[in-house]
Amino acid sequence: MTQLTLELTKLRTDITEMWNLVASQLYKSLYSLKTFDKDLSREVVSNEKRVNSMELNIDRDCENIFALFNPVAIDLRFVLAILKINNNLERIGDIAEGISKFIIIEKEPFDPPLLQKTNFLTMFEAAIQIVEDALTSFNKEDTKLARSIFKQDEMLDEINAEANQIISDYIRANPDKTEQALNVLSIIRRLERVGDQTKNIAEEIIFYLEAKVLKHK
Amino acid sequence: MDSNYGTYKLRTRHLNLFYSTKQALKDITINISPNTVTAFIGPSGCGKSTFLRCFNRMNDLIEGVTIDGEVLIDDVDIYKNMVDVHEYRKKVGMVFQKPNPFPKSIFENVAFGLRINGERSKTVLEESVEAALKQAALWEEVKDSLNKSALALSGGQQQRLCIARAIAVKPSVLLMDEPASALDPISTAKIEELIYQLKHSFTIVIVTHNMQQAARVSDKTAFFFMGELIEFDKTDKIFTNPSEDATQNYITGRFG
Amino acid sequence: MNKKRFFNPDIQDKVFKVFAICCTSLGLLTLVVLLIDITIKGIRRINWSFFFSLPSRHADESGIYTALAGMVSLLVITLLIALPIGILSGIYLQEYGKKNRFARLIEINISNLAGVPSVIYGILGLQLFVRTAGLGNSILSGALTLALLIMPIIIVSTREAVKAVPDSLREAAFGLGATKWQTIQRVVLPASFGGILTGIILSTSRAIGETAPLIVVGALAYVPFIPEGPMDQYTSLPIQVFNWTSRPQQGFVVNAAAGIIVLLLFTFILNGTAIYLRNKWYKKIAA
Repeated sequence: MTQLTLELTKLRTDITEMWNLVASQLYKSLYSLKTFDKDLSREVVSNEKRVNSMELNIDRDCENIFALFNPVAIDLRFVLAILKINNNLERIGDIAEGISKFIIIEKEPFDPPLLQKTNFLTMFEAAIQIVEDALTSFNKEDTKLARSIFKQDEMLDEINAEANQIISDYIRANPDKTEQALNVLSIIRRLERVGDQTKNIAEEIIFYLEAKVLKHK
Repeated sequence: MDSNYGTYKLRTRHLNLFYSTKQALKDITINISPNTVTAFIGPSGCGKSTFLRCFNRMNDLIEGVTIDGEVLIDDVDIYKNMVDVHEYRKKVGMVFQKPNPFPKSIFENVAFGLRINGERSKTVLEESVEAALKQAALWEEVKDSLNKSALALSGGQQQRLCIARAIAVKPSVLLMDEPASALDPISTAKIEELIYQLKHSFTIVIVTHNMQQAARVSDKTAFFFMGELIEFDKTDKIFTNPSEDATQNYITGRFG
Repeated sequence: MNKKRFFNPDIQDKVFKVFAICCTSLGLLTLVVLLIDITIKGIRRINWSFFFSLPSRHADESGIYTALAGMVSLLVITLLIALPIGILSGIYLQEYGKKNRFARLIEINISNLAGVPSVIYGILGLQLFVRTAGLGNSILSGALTLALLIMPIIIVSTREAVKAVPDSLREAAFGLGATKWQTIQRVVLPASFGGILTGIILSTSRAIGETAPLIVVGALAYVPFIPEGPMDQYTSLPIQVFNWTSRPQQGFVVNAAAGIIVLLLFTFILNGTAIYLRNKWYKKIAA
């Protein structure tokens, strides 16, 4: 095995670790939201530092590989893809932190009918699911699974699009819960962005495996 | 005449080459456009140097070499049509792996090709030598020592002198067989810079073991393996997304 | 490991060094003694009259004029015959000849010829030139015989010199459209000139020293005239020296010593030139 292969394997291990961490950040956010466990939310916020430091590490490793090994062809595309996926994962990490902060400032548990009406939990679970699907497609080099992410992202977009109307109706009916409703809306916005980031990741995976540029199409 | 007539500078069609009974090149068909740099890459013994030497019939010098198929320059088959090989080689300059200036003065090295063509006029010789040295980016360094031995120059200067010597006879094709493999990085960079400049006047084919060099200097890259042309495509395509697994394995260093 | 050695390796090293020095000094010492002996005996005889006197029965009046003239004319004719043939053969064998079994056979035979005792060449010359061709005891038959003798040396050294020219230079010339002859004439020969010259000079100094074949083909010991044409009879310096040493009178021994000094000087100068040229040539090729 060449030194470059070893470096690339290490990179793959590191990005997978970060990926799992980010997915678990999202999952913990969801769990803390359901159980209104603010300690767990605080853990998510403090874990964000780990995500950031992992991002810096992976960035540096990519730089080193470019400078020292001059990767070409599939190796070049792999490192380029990792560099961008790394960035996207870090943003998803930020989103998980943001969601957790909303939970921390919330004074009372979320109103189940509100969550019900907005399809909020479905959306949250779907967001976690596509992050995990993206990881699976990356590790199994499965472009078919990667392509399915575009479809899943559309579903998140739909829920997001409907949310405005649902939330304003809810606020009119429950003016005392205006603040909470607005927070839920903010979280929905953020979950929609998880979809967007993951869509970017899927594009990178397809680029790395098939050398097709899907961006801006 | 086929439809490609006049489009390409160098072409081969179904070229096979044998060293006595061993086949060194297998059915190679390639089209090289004028004023481009084409890099030949591949592991040692893959036939890339042998193939390069088909374009100026240098393989004729080796005993037991037989060739079938066509090698065309400007659509003329150089192995047929009663081409005078010496006349023909003047149209195709060659630069070798190790700098090989003659043990003569700098001036006489560059003037060599003209002199064997029978050029006697001192003015013509002086003008041609100056022009060739300028084109090879060596003039400023040697203009005051044209009568000094070429062997006193540094390796990088010697190689540029060899380039000047090759282009002094005004060829239209320049073949380079690993021209920078014996040079330090700075001299290598100068040679590469020179290749960018020379591209405007010549059709350049370069054999190199240095993948990064192929990537830097060439417009198109041909990958050879076991005497076959595996892939020939734009250099950026070869180095970001080659079509053949063998090419990818080779350029990423995962060979075999 | 750590086998007990009879000698400490350091001592072994020193012993060998001392032994080598002894051997070298022995050879050098013998040479020095000979040179000194000859110089003491012969130096007083070296003057203008020694160079310009004809041989004579009286040792004091006897000189090397005819021997020197004979030697020089012999050499000139020998070189005129041997050089073109030898150099061209060498070039042919190296540059044009096919490298097959037959070529290797020729190569080995030429190298062997260079080692054949010179008297054999004398016998060959006697039969071939003196008798069959009917050239008699002339300078020409002597020169032809010497030419045969030194030709293998010239061929081998020419081949070596031509072989030493890197192939890359030939490729460069061919790449520029040069023909084979242009390549040889303008690149190979100039680059190998020093080496070929070295071979020529070494073979010349060999030819100078040869006595045995000349005696066989009939060089005379006593020639009271300067040869005027290739068919004249002649003598040569080594023959003259050989002749003088066989005389009983003390004076001729002195003459012989003086003759040897002249001969040695000739050889030293030729060899010195050869070494000088070779060094210069290597610098040119290897720089």
